[in-house]
Amino acid sequence: MPGSFSIFKLAAFALLLLFAQPASAQLSFKPTAEAVQEDKLLNALKEGDKISGRISIPDRNAANLIQPAGRDWRDFHRGKLPWIGGIAILGMVALLAVFLMVRGRIRLQRGFSGKTILRFASFERFTHWLTASCFIILALSGLNVSFGRTLILPLFGADAFAAMSAWAKLAHNYLAFPFMLGLVVMFLIWIKDNIPGKVDIEWIKQGGGILSNGKHPPARRFNAGQKGIFWIVIIGGALMSVSGWFLIFPYLIGNVTELQVWTVIHAVIAMLFIAAMLAHIYIGSIGMEGAFDAMGTGEVDVNWAKEHHSLWVEEQQKKAGAPSDRTPHAVPAE
Amino acid sequence: MKVFITALAFAAIAASVVAVTLNSIQEPSSVAFTTSGARVGDPGNNLIGPS
Repeated sequence: MPGSFSIFKLAAFALLLLFAQPASAQLSFKPTAEAVQEDKLLNALKEGDKISGRISIPDRNAANLIQPAGRDWRDFHRGKLPWIGGIAILGMVALLAVFLMVRGRIRLQRGFSGKTILRFASFERFTHWLTASCFIILALSGLNVSFGRTLILPLFGADAFAAMSAWAKLAHNYLAFPFMLGLVVMFLIWIKDNIPGKVDIEWIKQGGGILSNGKHPPARRFNAGQKGIFWIVIIGGALMSVSGWFLIFPYLIGNVTELQVWTVIHAVIAMLFIAAMLAHIYIGSIGMEGAFDAMGTGEVDVNWAKEHHSLWVEEQQKKAGAPSDRTPHAVPAE
Repeated sequence: MKVFITALAFAAIAASVVAVTLNSIQEPSSVAFTTSGARVGDPGNNLIGPS
């Protein structure tokens, strides 16, 4: 009997070895283990779908626990957007620096005449500076959202960065409204001078005379380059305003997916807008001699006006009934 | 310079008016989403102010 007992025990042990499986193999077949693999769960959801629960408060959006598309949105903001912004803004700065080194400052060919002509009235300059000053604060506070954590936080510390960001965010929200007002007024007062025409095609063909000394294609009140800036400001500003409106008042038009789309539009347009305005600021200040006076005092030197806006000067002289060698608002330059 | 300063002042005043107007219209989430059947506790403050 002892012998038969040993054989029985041996057979039982062999059966155990035969049917026994490693612990890991057992776990891999547990339904609960499959269910908690987040990647598989999220990938099983279609784009835009959400994992939602039930809540008792009126805010239905609070019931959304997970929105898989939000990962793509987050990756865009952390990954692609800084590259888009960095390339657009730093690329423009580098381009302008190279242009300044190669071309130098665009100077007046005949020098200052000492006579000036009114280029922008007070209300026009007020509108320009209203929009421009708001834009600068909006741009800096917006860049803080995208780059502040990386660039400013290490310099000033968490407390100072938090305080600055809170104020910047408030300024961004509220200065957006006078910015939008400025956009509308600018559109109304300058649209008539910014309709593209045949003169602009010739101006573009000659590259605006920017690359060659002493060669200035004719232009009316605004040349093709200035018209381009005008439409960038109007169209870009309109896109920024509409998208910004949906960010200030979230869920105004749709669900969280649409909100994410508008944030992407707002951020990408903002980066391109800032890059374009850097070019505008450059050519209106250090890039071109005598250009800043137009928005500074409102009056530009007659020689400057004749070189850059010859057709406009002729129109003004005709309006004033002045001979071609005189100016309608000739006053001593400051 | 006078026009520039006037534009800055106008921007500041307009932004202040918008801030007062919006803050008088909007409610904190703890107030807006509280009903007779569900009370939302005061969520406190975060980076952008009262939640």
